[in-house]
Amino acid sequence: MLNLQPYADPKYFVILLLALLPVAIGLYFGKRLNWYEVVVSLVFIFLMFDGKKYHEGVALVGYMIWQWLLVWAYTLYRKKANGTVVFYIATFLSILPLILVKVAPAANWTHVTSLLGFLGISYLTFRSVAMILETRDGSIKEFNPWLFLRFMLFMPTISSGPIDRYRRFVKDITTVPDRQKYTEMLEKAVWYFFLGFLYKFVISYILGTVILPQVENLAMLSASVHHGWTWWLVPVMYTYGFDLFFDFAGYSLFAVATSYVMGVELPMNFNKPFLSKNLKDFWNRWHISLSFWFRDYIFMRLVFLIMKKKWIKNRVTTSNVAYIANMLIMGFWHGLHWYYIAYGLFHGVGMAINDAWLRYKKKHHVPHNKFTEAFAIFITFNVVMVSFLLFSGFLDKLWFK
Amino acid sequence: MKKRGLWWIFGPVVVAFVLIGALFLVPFSLNHITKKDVREASVSFSKNVFKGEAVKNAAFNDHSKRYVPFFGSSELLRLDSMHPAILAEKYHRNYQPFLLGQAGTESLTHYLSMQEMTPALHKKQAVFIVSQQWFTKKGSKLAFPEFYSPLQTADWLRHIKKITPTDRFMARRLLQQSQIKDNELYAKMITKISHNKPLSKTDRKVLAVRHRMLLREDQLFSSFSKSSNWSKRVEPALKKLPEQDNNNELTRQATSIGKKQTSNNRFQIKNSFYSYRVKLRLKQLAGSQKDFDYRQSDEYADFQAVLAEFAKQHTDVLFIIQPVNQRWASYTGLKKEMYYQSVDKVKKQLTSQGFNHIADLSHQGDQNYFMQDTIHLGWNGWVAADQHIKPFLTQGYQPTNYHINNNYLSEDWQNLMPTTDNLAQFK
Repeated sequence: MLNLQPYADPKYFVILLLALLPVAIGLYFGKRLNWYEVVVSLVFIFLMFDGKKYHEGVALVGYMIWQWLLVWAYTLYRKKANGTVVFYIATFLSILPLILVKVAPAANWTHVTSLLGFLGISYLTFRSVAMILETRDGSIKEFNPWLFLRFMLFMPTISSGPIDRYRRFVKDITTVPDRQKYTEMLEKAVWYFFLGFLYKFVISYILGTVILPQVENLAMLSASVHHGWTWWLVPVMYTYGFDLFFDFAGYSLFAVATSYVMGVELPMNFNKPFLSKNLKDFWNRWHISLSFWFRDYIFMRLVFLIMKKKWIKNRVTTSNVAYIANMLIMGFWHGLHWYYIAYGLFHGVGMAINDAWLRYKKKHHVPHNKFTEAFAIFITFNVVMVSFLLFSGFLDKLWFK
Repeated sequence: MKKRGLWWIFGPVVVAFVLIGALFLVPFSLNHITKKDVREASVSFSKNVFKGEAVKNAAFNDHSKRYVPFFGSSELLRLDSMHPAILAEKYHRNYQPFLLGQAGTESLTHYLSMQEMTPALHKKQAVFIVSQQWFTKKGSKLAFPEFYSPLQTADWLRHIKKITPTDRFMARRLLQQSQIKDNELYAKMITKISHNKPLSKTDRKVLAVRHRMLLREDQLFSSFSKSSNWSKRVEPALKKLPEQDNNNELTRQATSIGKKQTSNNRFQIKNSFYSYRVKLRLKQLAGSQKDFDYRQSDEYADFQAVLAEFAKQHTDVLFIIQPVNQRWASYTGLKKEMYYQSVDKVKKQLTSQGFNHIADLSHQGDQNYFMQDTIHLGWNGWVAADQHIKPFLTQGYQPTNYHINNNYLSEDWQNLMPTTDNLAQFK
């Protein structure tokens, strides 16, 4: 049976672009072919979860019904009242499937994984939780079942983002860009597709498929006679770090390019992250849609909550606590492994140190010029690479397996 | 941003696709393989060369030098002075080995590899080195994905005129491999073969296009992996050989080099191999091979497919049965009786079908400096092999008289316990 994994091989792109051709022609002539778009999206989602992956497809359907009912019910409730407990329960219920799926491998609940798990569950959860939060804020007032489904199941981003926002998305999907604007979007789409090809199928292939297994092997061999430490960890670290970027950035470029063809201006996910001047800057450039999601819905809200309830008086302590909580949650979200949690803690503490340094710098008028900037980029880059080595789980394999 | 028309945006994309299409479909070759490239490739062990056919065809069509395919596995990588490739070069013999195989290549891989070089096999000579370690129990084809070549599979399918029992066996065998199972195009066609149904005209057309694309890919990329084995390993080794092609001289030299290079252990394993692979785990390795068993294996049927192909091509082929390092085998507890029974099974399969050129070195694994390490021929071992290879290949092609018995493809044969009686009874 035909099974198509998104952006996996040249065949996928040919089929995808042929299928989207009528949509593009329609948009070029000022018409959005809504029904056709929906059918194409559903067919591609079906082809992603058919054959051997049918149980994931079933899980997706169940998951969508659950979220649909939840967001609908909460919107109905919110029109009448605004209880905190109800809000917390709704949020919890929305995250519940994700929590179960993340805990399942650690707890050995194989039936939970096969019943609830599907590729992309976390990205769908981000979208639906954000909707509940914004409904509570009052920024989303109505539940439109049709637009909800189109937002959640937007085909280009179904399995791994970028994570769009409902109100932004609805604005795009219910309108048609004018011809000049759409032509510009097509131009960008072509550029992003080809840049993505370079990133994912050339650079990431060389790094991840050709080089990485070899250096990992050498590291394992060498570490086995040197008590777990070896200089080979250095090439492992840089190869993995760059591969992570080119693989994921390539994937995100494909998603953005595809959505541009569909006349939706999805936000970009990466912006030259390895040129960041400090960790905060890094998180404004790396997996942007995720880090902004965490910033808006976890960090900011936690800071407001702490201030409102006056749990902590000191503003510096407040933000430090929020940084660490924020990053730890992100670590847990990646999975219940010590290295993901350590990665989260590393970045949380890193952000706190970064803030302390910025305050010190401001107070003591530390010199600032091109050279200090280059030095800052160098330091940040290497700190990030160390954190990626942690994130890779290779140390786990090296030391504990 | 400047206002740009659609042609400005999509023009370059269209041009790129047209160029790529042209690159893959032009009917003439785009690269030139020189004699030097071929010489390098003959000792390169490059996976691209092994999986492809451009370089191999260039080698076997070379009129200035007679390249003879040497099929084998990891022993071929041991390029010491007495290696067949080096002896042939040094003494200007009328042949030069083209080494096909490396760690992990077994009969199934070789069978597919033979499919794209049939002109090199047809009424020509070849050497095939068998290792008993191939004949392990089920689930041993771990290295298959590494050497799997879609091009060779296309060649195999294209060559099937009338479906033979070997083809059906091979079809069933390939359908167990995920590389083929997951490839819709191949899975469909190979399933047909396994059901004894011929391929349709459309199938053949699809295969032809596929073949052309894969071949072009091979031509473009197989010359990418440049090796320097010839200059780095063959040329220095040439200097260590005696000037005259003389067996006693060679043995003396082999013994002296072997002695020098196995000084750090009692197993006569090459020093570097011993320090790197054995020394640290020496204690754990004691008795580690006492449960090894090479007597019942699906490899026997794969091997039969190779024999059938040799018979089909009337290839005059010399089989070399490789010994194990007897000192090491005793230490690790490899059972002698089991080992020799498995050798007998291979020999029965060969001789009963008319493959009578066999260099059985299996009883010589205890001789001095015969093995380079635990299971691979080395100094004196290569000299002993050369005493069979040299006369066989210098004499040139002799007409063959093989009579293939398809019962050797059966599970009965794969699982037959090779006692003397059982072997004598199997028909």
